[in-house]
Amino acid sequence: MQSIIERIEREIAAWTPSAGAEETGIVRAAGDGIAEIDGLSKAALSEMVLFDPTFDRTLAEALKDPSPIYGLILNLEEDGVRAVILGDASKIREGMLVRRLGRLLSIPVGESLIGRVVNMLGEPVDGKGPISAAHLRPIEREAYGVIDRAPVSVPLHTGIKAVDAMIPIGRGQRELIIGDRGTGKTSIAVDAIINQKSESSATRPVCIYVAIGQKESKTAKLVAELEERGAMEYTIVVTAPASAPAALQFLAPFAGATIGEYFMEQGKDALVVYDDLSKQAVAYRQMSLLLRRPPGREAYPGDIFYLHSRLLERAAKLSKEKGGGSLTALPIIETQEGDISAYIPTNVISITDGQIYLEANLFNKGQRPAINVGISVSRVGSSAQTKAMKKVAGKIKLELAQFRELEAFMQFSSDLDIETKRRIDAGRRMTEMLNQGRGVPLPFEMEAAVIFAATNGYLDSFAPEEVSAIEKKLQDYFAHEAGGVLAAIKESKEIHEVTEKTLREKLDAFLARHASA
Amino acid sequence: MIDNYTRLLEVTVEIEDKAASDAAVTKLILHLKSAGRMKMLPAIVRELQKVAARRHALRPRVEVAHKKEEGEALRAAAASGIVVRYASVNPSLIFGWRARGDDMLVDRSAKQALLRIYQKSIA
Repeated sequence: MQSIIERIEREIAAWTPSAGAEETGIVRAAGDGIAEIDGLSKAALSEMVLFDPTFDRTLAEALKDPSPIYGLILNLEEDGVRAVILGDASKIREGMLVRRLGRLLSIPVGESLIGRVVNMLGEPVDGKGPISAAHLRPIEREAYGVIDRAPVSVPLHTGIKAVDAMIPIGRGQRELIIGDRGTGKTSIAVDAIINQKSESSATRPVCIYVAIGQKESKTAKLVAELEERGAMEYTIVVTAPASAPAALQFLAPFAGATIGEYFMEQGKDALVVYDDLSKQAVAYRQMSLLLRRPPGREAYPGDIFYLHSRLLERAAKLSKEKGGGSLTALPIIETQEGDISAYIPTNVISITDGQIYLEANLFNKGQRPAINVGISVSRVGSSAQTKAMKKVAGKIKLELAQFRELEAFMQFSSDLDIETKRRIDAGRRMTEMLNQGRGVPLPFEMEAAVIFAATNGYLDSFAPEEVSAIEKKLQDYFAHEAGGVLAAIKESKEIHEVTEKTLREKLDAFLARHASA
Repeated sequence: MIDNYTRLLEVTVEIEDKAASDAAVTKLILHLKSAGRMKMLPAIVRELQKVAARRHALRPRVEVAHKKEEGEALRAAAASGIVVRYASVNPSLIFGWRARGDDMLVDRSAKQALLRIYQKSIA
């Protein structure tokens, strides 16, 4: 109590009447999360304003709820401005005083955010107390230019065999995860976050998961999973749930990008997952229509492409002069009935450096992750793939694509020649080998060793349906009895002649043991 | 269309010449009659009422906590560019004064000072 009294006394002693004038406006009308404001003739676009609930109340009333509500100016008009309300819109009244803050919408960034769940304004929502972040950064800023960037050259391992082998992601890349609802999009992103635990603390990226328009129960479950797996130690969750105003949902990805950029500029690596941009686009459409901006295709506003391009363009691998940090983006888009040629999916596909397409049919057949290899691609990731992975996974994509064609052909023909049957069996074995459950990402060296075994015929003596069980045994064997080989691959990121020889010997021993068993 | 008429009248009102305003209203009514658009008149009046309400809300004003502070408040407000003849009494200010006008607010009330101290203390 004494300390509180002392603090108040200090504040009173330090108080001097401010002589400065503030620029203010008056709320003319408010509704649907939008406020029309008279005045503020000198306000700028994207500037923050503060709705002051205390102005026309007595001190006693004001002290009951003195918390201000922020707003963001999005329309400058002839006789006033329109602003989106970034808070409880029901508290905004006609005639309410609005103060200009003279700064663009900014959020606190810093190391202290790590391990926390925050809202789009950087305020904690996890009940773990206040966050003391030292830096305040505007959420909208121009992306780095060509001169400041370096080519993507360092891999970002997701721990998912199919992704790391066929659709590799590099640090600084933008890789879209696209598919219908319930096909495992979030699982891929979360596994990628969990897998960063296997990285050394020096190279481990700070992960930012931005939940846009999600159910709060889903976000809570996800945070619990990340905590259980020890991934919250290096993760920040930014949440704008379905119950949040559309403005917060549309701005949440920009807040995530701003936090990621802070770490990138410190020379570190950051990974940001936007889950998902379809909901962000819907929120932006809602807001634009309420702001009376002219609707375009599917009622989206004309600048919907720019909304996503300016966000995703902020992902970058910085040059050495700029510290060499990186910001990798994994945007997620939900399709309807597998239609990737819809408006928003095509927009985001054209912006990103590749996409991982998850297909409901494959998911229903039991393939995990349900990646359609034919239309999934990584445009820059192959240059970031390690030599070891390139060596073992070089032809997998082609073989799997051929297998899918033969598989389709097989449905019309019962009489197959031996070579075709062999290819189909090899494809089935490969598919089984690439199957991987949720929440079990593998370290890169284990992936390389397992794929090496599959692509070099060590699994050919097993029936396709046995491959999954054998692969688990093989992983145990590598982990407990062939740790040296894994360590050699991990250290050199290559499979040298000597390593390959040892790897083959170990695999022969494994096969002999299995055959004898 | 209603907006255009309203804006026209608004400009006329800004002249602050009663004769000119009356003449403008008469001409508008004649025009509406000849164009067969007399039905628009109530809507124009409603728009003008809105404009008037907005102007009233934004008009320059000075508030004081006590009547005895009026003279000093008016002088200080004028120095800040907000010129009005009278100040209204608002006891919720506790002490001091505040002035609004031309999008600007100068707040030298004890209420505002106490709120700032409170917000700093709980931050």
